[in-house]
Amino acid sequence: MTELQVVGKSLPRLEGPDKVTGRTVYAADIHLPGMLHAKILRSPYAHAKIANIDTSRAKALPGVRAVTTAADLPAGDRDQAIRSHVVLAEGEVFFHGQPVAAVAADRVDIAEAALDLITVEYEPLPAVLDVETAIDPSSPLTRLPLGDVERVEEGGHVTVEVENFDDVGPKRSANVTNRLHFMRGDIKAGFRDADFVVEGRFDAGMVHQAYLEPQVCVADYDPTGRLTVWAPTQGQFFQRSEIARILGLPVSKVRYVSTEVGGGFGAKVAPLVQPLVGVLSMKTKRPVKLVLTRREDLTVAVPAPSAVVWCKFGATKDGRLTTIEARVIFDAGAFPSGPVVGAAMMLPASYTFQNLDIEGLEVITNKVSCGAYRAPGVPEVIFAIEQLVDQICRESGFDQIAFRRDNAVREGDLMPNGRPWPRIGLVECLDALERSELWQTRGSSNGANPRGVGVAIGGWLGGMQPASSLVRLNDNGTFSVIVGSNDISGSNTSFAMIAAEVLGVPLSMVEALTADTDSAPWAGMAAGSKTTYSGGKSVQGAAEDAKRQIVAIAARELDTNPEDIVLEGGVAKVLGTDKAIPFSRIASLSTGFGGRYGPVLGRGGNDVIRNQAPGFTAQAVEVEVDSATGQITVTRVAAAQDVGKAINWMSVMGQLEGGVVQGLGMGLTEEMLYDDQGRLRNPTFLDYRLLTSLDVPNIEGILVEVPSPEGPFGARIVGEPSIIAGSAALANAVHEATGIRMHRVPLTPDRIVEALAARTALSTVVLSHG
Amino acid sequence: MLKEHIEAVPVTVRLVVNGDLVEVTTLPNRTLLEIVREDLALTGSKEGCGTGDCGACTMIVDDKPVTSCLVLAPSADGKTVRTVEGVAKDGQLHPVQQAIVECGGTQCGFCTPGFVMSAVYLLENNNNPTEHEIRVGISGNLCRCTGYMKIVDAVALAAKRMRGD
Amino acid sequence: MRRFAYFAPERVEDAVALLADHGGRAKVIAGGTDLVVQMKDGARRPEAVVNISRLADLRTFEERSDGLHIGAIVTMGTIEHDPLIRTKYPILADSAKLVGSLQIRNLATIAGNSCNASPGADTPPALIALRATVRMFGPAGSRTVPIEELFVGPGQTSLQPGEIVVEFIIPLPQSGQGSYYLRHTPRKELDIAVVGAGASVWLRGETIVDARIALAAVFPTPLRATSAEEALRGKTISAGVIEAAAEAAAGQARPISDVRSSAEFRHHLVGVLTRRAIEGAIGRARGAGPTVGH
Repeated sequence: MTELQVVGKSLPRLEGPDKVTGRTVYAADIHLPGMLHAKILRSPYAHAKIANIDTSRAKALPGVRAVTTAADLPAGDRDQAIRSHVVLAEGEVFFHGQPVAAVAADRVDIAEAALDLITVEYEPLPAVLDVETAIDPSSPLTRLPLGDVERVEEGGHVTVEVENFDDVGPKRSANVTNRLHFMRGDIKAGFRDADFVVEGRFDAGMVHQAYLEPQVCVADYDPTGRLTVWAPTQGQFFQRSEIARILGLPVSKVRYVSTEVGGGFGAKVAPLVQPLVGVLSMKTKRPVKLVLTRREDLTVAVPAPSAVVWCKFGATKDGRLTTIEARVIFDAGAFPSGPVVGAAMMLPASYTFQNLDIEGLEVITNKVSCGAYRAPGVPEVIFAIEQLVDQICRESGFDQIAFRRDNAVREGDLMPNGRPWPRIGLVECLDALERSELWQTRGSSNGANPRGVGVAIGGWLGGMQPASSLVRLNDNGTFSVIVGSNDISGSNTSFAMIAAEVLGVPLSMVEALTADTDSAPWAGMAAGSKTTYSGGKSVQGAAEDAKRQIVAIAARELDTNPEDIVLEGGVAKVLGTDKAIPFSRIASLSTGFGGRYGPVLGRGGNDVIRNQAPGFTAQAVEVEVDSATGQITVTRVAAAQDVGKAINWMSVMGQLEGGVVQGLGMGLTEEMLYDDQGRLRNPTFLDYRLLTSLDVPNIEGILVEVPSPEGPFGARIVGEPSIIAGSAALANAVHEATGIRMHRVPLTPDRIVEALAARTALSTVVLSHG
Repeated sequence: MLKEHIEAVPVTVRLVVNGDLVEVTTLPNRTLLEIVREDLALTGSKEGCGTGDCGACTMIVDDKPVTSCLVLAPSADGKTVRTVEGVAKDGQLHPVQQAIVECGGTQCGFCTPGFVMSAVYLLENNNNPTEHEIRVGISGNLCRCTGYMKIVDAVALAAKRMRGD
Repeated sequence: MRRFAYFAPERVEDAVALLADHGGRAKVIAGGTDLVVQMKDGARRPEAVVNISRLADLRTFEERSDGLHIGAIVTMGTIEHDPLIRTKYPILADSAKLVGSLQIRNLATIAGNSCNASPGADTPPALIALRATVRMFGPAGSRTVPIEELFVGPGQTSLQPGEIVVEFIIPLPQSGQGSYYLRHTPRKELDIAVVGAGASVWLRGETIVDARIALAAVFPTPLRATSAEEALRGKTISAGVIEAAAEAAAGQARPISDVRSSAEFRHHLVGVLTRRAIEGAIGRARGAGPTVGH
């Protein structure tokens, strides 16, 4: 294979200059003539019947152009089990902050004032607020039973074949909306034969994706009956079909223009405010804009669920993990949205357990429903399993890295669903972590500010979904890559690099852009870490198609066989001669007046990716603990991740660093806190604490490249795995520093102080010698 | 409430934005960020939280970086304001902007204009900051994508270039 | 944000008259970092807003024979960076540099930090520890009271209708005096005190002649921990004496549980932070204490 010229380099994003100068257009920047501003009236109750809504006074306020309630919604095919379909509450509210009515007015302050003039009579109902109550057959119901639930969005994040599903088990409340069960071997025998058994219960708090750009939408319903929607999304084609279905419009009458995505991390896949803004535009026949306040966004967007994880391991004294039994329960909020499949798959997935019994449950409660957040559900289960692995190593004297490597899954080992693992790089990640500067120079200390280092590993399967792409030769000899996927990770720059590589041109001769749903080639969601993996494959195909067309023209023009043509630096040459024709000439011959050839347009996407390319990570975190205040300072982090092939080193490393810091945020400070009425208590960026530049250290990022068999140039999924291991590694580091075992994440200072005072480190982690 | 709603009196705000004297007539219940974005159509500055807790709206007002989402529009009367649109000169990126692009310090980009303003202010007042001083200088700006490391690298690189090292 | 009438008077008398005209339905704005947030979320809906930023007299600060006079609208950023304050009144710089973020500190004013009357505000404990007084001006003229007397309860001050804070006066530092403020927050920036503790000590040799201890976020108002002061007064410096004072402070604290902390954890922190504040103040009194950070 010849040396790569573009792929694998570290290159700045193509859109960088627009972003640093403020020229990039986000949806909130759009202003259309005659545009109205929307505001939403929200439920003050977590669960209530709506007896009556009176909007007459609001409608009478000067400047108000429309007030809408569920009674005014257009006829559509809306499924009450899907959050985005319940545009406005129909007779009953299921969570605090649920939209009840909406106003469109000339100005934002008029719309706000109009909300005060809407009178809603509620009849409060019992609110179900925690999963352990909800799961009990005697619990009140969060809402009426839902029947079969469509789970299209979840499929975009993780594609899993599940065969060994069963529906037996204890009787549970209808609040349990999904149950999954993976079994292998014989866990009874496994525990009987084990030398060590550890178990523990772990709780993970509800967190928010906390993208910096609040959810936003501009919609314009024009006189021809077409609805144009401008909003950031990770899946514009999915949004288009959902919006059409919800509003009863033909798909062809909806045009979705994804504006730049100001952070999504899973939360900007399904429609959230888009259908409602569409309704207001349809009612007023004017463009309408809605920007959620941060308070609204934190309260009513689609955060990540809290989880209760119970887990029990068996291991032999020669260091083999043999048996696992685990149960994970997700609090999905008021609509089925728990990441049960991915979490149940990945909980035991790093290790070669002979015997396993994993149950995953999704439970609905009267809280805001959830969406995806970067490897949905996995950091929560890894927080549990990796602390137990740490415990076995400490109690038995096994090396933290060697023990994990000895038990790590490799190609051909079985996944929990019985399918074999494809080529993966978990062992290589552990090797890399072992060589890291942090690991080589680690040390712990006692005293008032003890230090410790903790390790954790984990992985993510990723999704699969077909995508198509076009590569067009422009009339000046440059190329445009045109895709339908939304760029949330630098993917368009990677696409341009792939095309440049194939076409033998410098990156400066290629641009890549996402077209809207009217004109773009079809692509799946930018979710499940698969955009570059599967979309990149289609770009590679499109570039190769364009290359064939260029070679054919060049061969005709240079009077030779296509096999003798090579493309290099924007010129087609005849091998071994000085005969050549520049692409600009080929472009004019195929686009100019009297051109002899058809324009060059490469199409890619036939070569669909058929297998996942899972990504694993191994991370180490070093902490210092102020044992008086409970404050944890993260002093160093090393993170290795198998990325297959880094198409653009800078983008991939940026994803890794960002994901690691999100994982640390989950571990240290981030948690959505609710009161006993189901109301969010910390709906601001003051009290929902993202880490600042002073809270995180530099990260020793290590890219491991175990090529995937199918991805472009060996690339595999990248975006999600980096978030997985942070909270578990933190907890293990705290344990090394202090001897306490943390059962609840985030590891807030008060919880550390409480655990230090109680010294109940091992209270639920039982170590027995069987 | 309705009475107040109808009778609110507009005020005229005169300010210098990126060197241009401008005049905006507005009801007082809007912020500097809103009039700059909506009335002056300079949409580079972003509203990420509206409560001063994220820094995406950072502008340099009378030579100090502030969260413009907390400045009432009429309070900005008579002020000199610099926004992200005024940082590049003659089509040339400012060294901070150039370095953020080169180092991968922008991902989704929504926080970036705020970081640019904080970093420009920092380097105008300290041309040789330590890594800690850089982290302090951008500590009022939240970034959710990068983990800050590449932004810190970029500010260090820009400082080096501005010193001419 | 709901609508309101806006005024930006040039003279203190005019500001006071405007406030009096609206009889409690007007709010004073300076930096706006608290009020604008409260108006946006609807927590406050004033009919008029009086901007005092144009009152030039309120923007000056200078040391006079009776102490340091700091005008009401001097910003946290100015205080944090001012060389005179950092060297002679470092506790004030300690507390000012912790407020909000760098950008917020360029807006937020010292009077605003007090007049918002948040129990968790950082500069009031520093002002209390420095034995500051506050001068107010209103329809009935001017009056000066110890800073502790400004605070009545959460969001409530002893300012009368139409009255505004004009300046704070801090007595000149004495030899043997040292002061220090610190707080606990989950993050290192962009946060608000879970508990804050400020201490001043006046030493003669190894004897603590006098002390002032003030706490944030453990009482409905900034709390002067007189029992802790008592535990230090006249004592020879020792770990035991400091610990006793810290325990006395914890005994006087009446923290609540809220979204930022449980009462129990606040109670624990009062002891830890009071001890550290006293140690920091003693260090400074000896001339080798903590420097002002950042």
